[in-house]
Amino acid sequence: MLAGLLFLLPFYYVVVTSLNSASVSASVSDILLPHWQWANYSRAWAAAPWPRLFLNTLLIASATVLLALATSLLAGFAFGVMRFRGRGLLFGLVMSVLMIPGTVLIIPDYIIANDINWLDTYWIQIVPWGASVFGIFLVRQFFLGLPQEIFDAAELDGAGRLRMLWSIGIPLVRPAIVIISLNVFLASWNSFLWPFIMTSSPDVQPVEVGLAAFAGANGTDFPALSAAVVFTTAPVLLFFLVLQRHFITGAMSTAGGVRG
Amino acid sequence: MGWLYTAPALLIFSVFIIGPTAYTLYVSLFHWNALNTAKSKYIGLANYRSLLGSTAPSFLSSAWHSLYFSGAMVIGGTALSLAFALLLQRGGRLLGAARVAVFAPHATPVVATSLAWVWIFNPQFGLADTLLKAVHLPQPGWLQSTTWAMPSVIAYSLWHEVGFTVVLFLGGLAVISPELSEAARVDGANAWQEFWHVTWPQLRPVTLFVVIITSISSLQAFTQFYEMSQGGPVYATTTLSFLLYQEAFVFFDTGYGAALAIVLFAVTAAFTLLQRRTGDRISRSS
Repeated sequence: MLAGLLFLLPFYYVVVTSLNSASVSASVSDILLPHWQWANYSRAWAAAPWPRLFLNTLLIASATVLLALATSLLAGFAFGVMRFRGRGLLFGLVMSVLMIPGTVLIIPDYIIANDINWLDTYWIQIVPWGASVFGIFLVRQFFLGLPQEIFDAAELDGAGRLRMLWSIGIPLVRPAIVIISLNVFLASWNSFLWPFIMTSSPDVQPVEVGLAAFAGANGTDFPALSAAVVFTTAPVLLFFLVLQRHFITGAMSTAGGVRG
Repeated sequence: MGWLYTAPALLIFSVFIIGPTAYTLYVSLFHWNALNTAKSKYIGLANYRSLLGSTAPSFLSSAWHSLYFSGAMVIGGTALSLAFALLLQRGGRLLGAARVAVFAPHATPVVATSLAWVWIFNPQFGLADTLLKAVHLPQPGWLQSTTWAMPSVIAYSLWHEVGFTVVLFLGGLAVISPELSEAARVDGANAWQEFWHVTWPQLRPVTLFVVIITSISSLQAFTQFYEMSQGGPVYATTTLSFLLYQEAFVFFDTGYGAALAIVLFAVTAAFTLLQRRTGDRISRSS
């Protein structure tokens, strides 16, 4: 319990800092009790095009989730239910993608993005993250756990494969869909290095890149910066708190399925 | 037919992950001209040679910083999260709330919360120094000190990451057999003996998983270094990932950056394989 409170202390501290004036003396009570300087918030809010940045983040994260869901469902269905030559080999190839660290990709993908004129666009922030190894793996696991007869029977009915996936498969793997959506959404919202390198204008930049730029320009105005930290983190933290049960059971079931 | 269904995912992987990995190797053999690719010059392994000969900062010191950070994250993170998982594994409303509190930092963007920790470590107004002053302990200077900058970044990163691995361990604890623990208790084992001889061996697969994902993610960590220390002071927190960013996107030495990326890739792959191997050997011998 105490550990829980200790983990929350930084949150409390940044909220208090966002409500203090810059010249506050450094006594324990002064830095741990708020002085209600709401002006810090209006100063921070006026300093960057926040609504635009929030909108960009929402758009990028939602589009990435939709694309990742589509590719994961299709590929997970194929690997879990369909039989075809080279299935094992292809699945091995997909899993090997996990071994490649993102930092390795930033240089060549920057060059590629430049070549296809995708630098400083939404596309470069969406499409490369629109396929997820974790998502494919999870959907496949779910389909492997279902009795194969369901799909054989549907085949006798003459349901097309794609319709079979849509009308029978998707309702059965709903928990996987929830886990993938939440994780992809959060990962997209929280990403930094990629959009930081790939974009340069606030018209397409996400809120985290905007926050880093704000910190770079106003590094000494701690209260305003804390205010910006608070209002950019609050939505994503709220999102997590409302849906925390799904995040936690999702991660737990991932680990429960790990075998030596 | 199956090929068709896997095609969209495979297309994205090929264009943005698998192809680019090979391309990195290619670029690393050039004196790459970022403005005009046609003017790039093939120089063989020269980028790798200058990597070894570099001085400010030296490649070896950056590699050491990467290992320092990753080692601390793997050992500290695994130990801490296992301890928390054991504490939090019983249900109940309070412990459920504590679980959420421990997991919450992991859901926050690194940009935002690492900035919050910059204030915590601030020498004038910071929470850390104020508390130390209040109990008359010396203040180490945190992010301003070459010795303490790395531990400060590690402290933040543990705070941010541990919640996730706690939950992974909770998942592992949820599926281990309760009969064995029961039997151990009936045989008169104390709590420590029960943990060491019964619980811990059954957690090995999860532990291995935690160790592997923690080492991969900490070798790649970038944002907290960018926000908290900019690789300093005097390169004390310049890791391979931070160096790669600097060389490729601040100094625009793309070929050299690519060589660094290949080294980072090799280190990550070696780490993962080594841990898998050790894991296999342990599970075979037990």
